[in-house]
Amino acid sequence: MSRRVGSSNDPPSPSASYYDVSDDEEGGYNTIAHANTGRGVKLLYSKSKVYVHPSPSAKDNIPGFIALVQQKSAPLAADERPGTASSSHSKSQNDASKYLLAWVPESSLAQDDFSTYVKVDMKDTESPPKQTYLVPPLPVSSSYDDSNVGPYAFSLPLSHIYSILVRPPNLGWWFGSIIINTKSGSSLPALFFHDSECESTILQKKRKTKESFDPFGEGGDLFWGGDEVLKWLKRYVTVERSTAEPSVYLINPSEEDLLGFGQGRKSLEGQGPNSDKQQSKKQPPGPGMDPLTKALKETRWKILENLSKITTFTRRTAQDLANNNNLPPQVRRLLQNPEVQTIQDEFDSARLYLARWAMGIAEQSERERRQRIYTARDVLETESSSVGEFEILDGTESMSLNDSKRRPVTMKEWKGYFDSKGRLQITENEIKERVFHGGLDMEDGVRKEAWPFLLGLYEWNSSAEERKAMMNSLRDQYIRLKGQWWERMIEGQATQEQEEWWREQKNRIEKDVHRTDRHIPLFAGEDIPHPDPSSPFYNEHSPGTNVHMEQLKDMLLTYLEYDTPPDGRTSTSITINPNPQNLGYVQGMSDLLSPLYAVFQDDALAFWCFVHFMKRMSRNFVRSQAGMRAQLNSLDQIVQLLDPKLYLHLQKLDSTNFFFFFRMLLVWYKREFDWSDVLRLWESLWTDYLSSQFHLFIAVAILEKHRDVIMEHLRGFDEVLKYINELSGTIELQSTLIRAESLFHKFEKMVEAIDRKDHFPAAPIEIRQRQGKGKDPEDNSQTAKQPQGSSSSNDASHQRTNSEADKEKVISPELRLLLSKEIVTLEENADAGARTRASGLKD
Amino acid sequence: MASRKKVLLKVIILGDSGVGKTSLMNQYVNKKFSTSYKATIGADFLTKEVTVDDRIVTLQLWDTAGQERFQSLGVAFYRGADCCVLVYDVNSPKSFETLDSWRDEFLIQASPRDPDNFPFVVLGNKVDMGEERRMISQKRAHAYCQQRGQMPYFETSAKDNVNVEQAFEVIARNALLQEESEEYGGDFSDVIDINLNPERDGCAC
Repeated sequence: MSRRVGSSNDPPSPSASYYDVSDDEEGGYNTIAHANTGRGVKLLYSKSKVYVHPSPSAKDNIPGFIALVQQKSAPLAADERPGTASSSHSKSQNDASKYLLAWVPESSLAQDDFSTYVKVDMKDTESPPKQTYLVPPLPVSSSYDDSNVGPYAFSLPLSHIYSILVRPPNLGWWFGSIIINTKSGSSLPALFFHDSECESTILQKKRKTKESFDPFGEGGDLFWGGDEVLKWLKRYVTVERSTAEPSVYLINPSEEDLLGFGQGRKSLEGQGPNSDKQQSKKQPPGPGMDPLTKALKETRWKILENLSKITTFTRRTAQDLANNNNLPPQVRRLLQNPEVQTIQDEFDSARLYLARWAMGIAEQSERERRQRIYTARDVLETESSSVGEFEILDGTESMSLNDSKRRPVTMKEWKGYFDSKGRLQITENEIKERVFHGGLDMEDGVRKEAWPFLLGLYEWNSSAEERKAMMNSLRDQYIRLKGQWWERMIEGQATQEQEEWWREQKNRIEKDVHRTDRHIPLFAGEDIPHPDPSSPFYNEHSPGTNVHMEQLKDMLLTYLEYDTPPDGRTSTSITINPNPQNLGYVQGMSDLLSPLYAVFQDDALAFWCFVHFMKRMSRNFVRSQAGMRAQLNSLDQIVQLLDPKLYLHLQKLDSTNFFFFFRMLLVWYKREFDWSDVLRLWESLWTDYLSSQFHLFIAVAILEKHRDVIMEHLRGFDEVLKYINELSGTIELQSTLIRAESLFHKFEKMVEAIDRKDHFPAAPIEIRQRQGKGKDPEDNSQTAKQPQGSSSSNDASHQRTNSEADKEKVISPELRLLLSKEIVTLEENADAGARTRASGLKD
Repeated sequence: MASRKKVLLKVIILGDSGVGKTSLMNQYVNKKFSTSYKATIGADFLTKEVTVDDRIVTLQLWDTAGQERFQSLGVAFYRGADCCVLVYDVNSPKSFETLDSWRDEFLIQASPRDPDNFPFVVLGNKVDMGEERRMISQKRAHAYCQQRGQMPYFETSAKDNVNVEQAFEVIARNALLQEESEEYGGDFSDVIDINLNPERDGCAC
C-alpha cells in the first residue's frame, strides 16, 4: 500500500505540522498556550512512571510519561490509523517525521490530559487505540531547557532520532533506561523506567509470564518497560540493533551507519531485547573489535551507567573497586577518573550493587584465564593459610566440564545396568558415581525409575518382582494412612484438643501448598472448586484449587499421620512408623515434596519417597533446631579449615553464625536454583557418593566463589545476609558442583595429612623452623613418648604435642562426620514435641 | 564534603506464618502485590529511604519466617531493633491470639533497654477479604492494643494497598523516636545537620 506523504524528502519542520483532528487551523497550535483549546496531537502510546533523574538524589527524580504521538503531516493521513497496515508499507523518513517520541512530566499535565495518558497507557493492545485520544502538543525540542513544561520535557520526530541507547534493568538493582541520541549529535536526558510502579508494565509482564511460560527457562522476568517503547517504534520506523555495541539501537539507519556499527544487518522485526542475550552470544563481534575491546567497551558503559543509575555511592567503595587486582588495568584507570569519584555518599545498596558488579567483572576475566588464576590463588592460599604446610591437591585440574562422566544418565543407559530380572549388574558405587557426576536425563523418564533407588525406597539388590510386591503393599498402606486422618476429620472421633491441632495443621499445610512452586505448570492453575467451604481458599464464584495442589495437601497430611505418635491420633489407628518424630508440619516440607510429586505424578510413590527423603531431612525440622545448628556449626568448622582468612573476616562481620546459609540448608537450595537445577542437584546429593554431607560443600563452594567480594566489600552481618540471599537465581550449578567436589577432596586430603602427621610425626620443615626459634631449655624436660625415626628427640616431642593440639582443633567429630557416607539423623524426643504443642506459640 | 551520617532504623516484622508480612513489606517498599510469595525461610530485609519530619532516614525492614520453630536460630538480628511490627490476619483468630507470644518473644530476644516503652505497632492485615470472613473486630483489636501500652493499630490490606503507607509512616516515626531516645543514653557524636542538603526540593515545573 502506498500513500502520499509530505511533498519534500526533507523532514518537514515539526512545529509547522502538528496533527490536528479539527483539521481547520493548521498554523496556530504549536505552542503550549493553545493546549486547552481542544486541539492537540494524537496520543498513540504512552507509558507511565518513566523518570528523569536530574541529580544523584532519589528525591529529585521527576516522574513522567514517555509517549508516542502522531502529528499531522498531510491531510490524507488524517483519518488513517496506523495499525496492521503500517507494517506493510515502507517505513520511510517521511513517516518518521510525523511521529514524535515525547517525554512529559506528570506535573505539567492538567487533570484531563493526565487521565488520557493513563488511559492510553492502560490500553493493552498491540496496535494503537482505535479511539482518538488528543493531548496538547508539546513543543518540539532537541534542546530542552527553554520549554514551558519543565526543563526535561521533549518531543522529537522519529526522523530526528539517530540512535537509542538501551539498558535493561538488572536483578532489581537498578532501573532500565534509555537515552535518545539526536541526529544533531546531542543526547536527551536518560529516561528511567520504574517498572515496579508502572501499572501497565506490571500487567504486561504478568501476561507475558502466563503466555510464554517455560518452566525450565528463565521465565518472563526480563521483560521491562523499555521493550514496549522499542515495540512502538518498530511499528513506524526501522530499528536496527548494532552488533558491535549491543546496547545501541539505530533508528532508520543509513547504509553507512550499518557498516559503521558492525554487521547489524539483521532487522529486529518482532524481536525484543528479550532474545538479545542469546543473540549477542551467538554473533561474532563486529569487524575490528577484538573480544577484549568489546568487553572493555561494555564495561565502560556499565560504569558510566551505574553512575547514573545508583543514586549515590561512596568514594571509599570506588577506591576499593579501583584497587581490586582482578580488574583489568584499563578499568581501574577509568575508576580512578575524578569524574567517577566525585559522587560520594553513604548508600548501602550501592555498595552491594557494586560488590555484585565487581564479581561480574572478576568472573569475566576469570573465564578467560581460568586455570592460571585458580591455581595461582590456590597456591597463595596454600602458602599463607595456617595449614599451609600440608600438601594440597588441586582437584579441579583433573575435572572438566566436558568429561564424559558428566553426561546425564539416560533411560537406555540406566536399563542397561540391570539384568533381565531387574537386578543391578554393576556395583552400587559405580551407578552412584555415574549419577553423582552426570545426573539423570531430564526428559526420558529415567528419574521415575532411578529416584526410588537413590532415595533408598528400593533396595539396590532387589529384583523387579520384589520391588513390585513391595510397592503394592506400600500403596495399600498409603491409602490406609490417608483414610485415617480423613475419617478423623469427618467423623470427629478425636478429642477437642486433637481436633483443634489437626485443623490448625491442615490450615498451615494448605497455606503453604498454595504458595509452593506455583510457577510450575503442574501447580499453576486453579480449575476445580475447593472441596472445603471452611477453607480460606474456598470461593463460591471461582475454582479455588487444582488436583495437584490437593494431592500435595493430602500427602503432607498423610505424612503428618505417619509421623505422629499414637497419642496424637486415635487409639484405633494403625502404626506403620516404628519411630515417629512428631515434627508436625513445618515450613519447607512442601518445598521438599513438590519435586518428588512432580516427577512421579503418583501420590503413593511420591509419598514413600518423601518418607525416605525425610529420614535425612527431618533433623532440619525438629523443634530444638538442633539439626540446623549442627550443620551451621559444621560449616563454621569447614570454613575455618579451608579458608581461615575468609573465616577471620566473617568473624569481624559477626557472621560466623552462618545464618545466611539457613535457607539453602533447610530446603537444599530449592530457593537458589531454578527447578531443573534443583532436580539435578538433589539426585547428586541423594547418592551420598562422596559424603552424605556433600550439601555442605555446595555451600562452601558458593561462599568461596564470592569470597573476594565478601572480603573486600561487605561490612556487616546484614550486608552478608543480603548479598547471599540475592545470589538466588544467579548461581551456576555445574561449576558449583565441580568446585564443591574439589573442595571436598581438598578437605579430605587435609584430614588425611593431619592424621598421617599424627602417626608419623616427622615435622614439616616450616614447623620445625618455627619450633627452632622458640626453643628453650625447658623443652628438654618434656616426657612425651619418643617417636621412632624422628630427627631429634627435642623437636619430635614438641611436634608431637603440637600436632595433637592441631588435631583437636581441626579434626573434630563434626568434621570427621563429613567424610561419612552414612545418612545423619537426629531424633527428637517425641514427648517434648507433644508438650510444646499444647502451649506457647502455634508451633 | 563532610560525610552525612544517615540514620538507619531497624524494624522487625513478626507474626504467624501466612498473615502477610512479606506482602506488606513489598507493598510498602516496591508497591507490588503478588499472591504467590513463597513462604519466607530464614530472614531477609528490604530497605527504604523515607523522610520523617524533614530527616532522611533509611528503614531496614526485617522479614522473618512465621513459624515459631525457626525463631530460635534467627534472633541475631532482633538486637538493635528500633521498632517491632506485630502482624495478624483479621480473618484468623489464632494469629491474633499469638500476638502476645510474639511480643514477649521479641522482648526477651531483643532485650531493649527500656522494654516498657519499646515501640510496637500492630497491623491487622487482609481486611480486603470482606466482613463476612472477618473474625476479629476492630473494637477487639483496639481494646487489645490499648491494654498493652497503647500500641498504635492499623487495619491494612497489602493486596489493595489500604493503610500500608500510613502504618509505615507511624512505624518510621516511632522507630526514629526510639533511636533518638537510645542515643541519649549513649554519646551524642552523631548530630545530624539537616541543613547539609540544601538542594531545591520543588518539582520541576
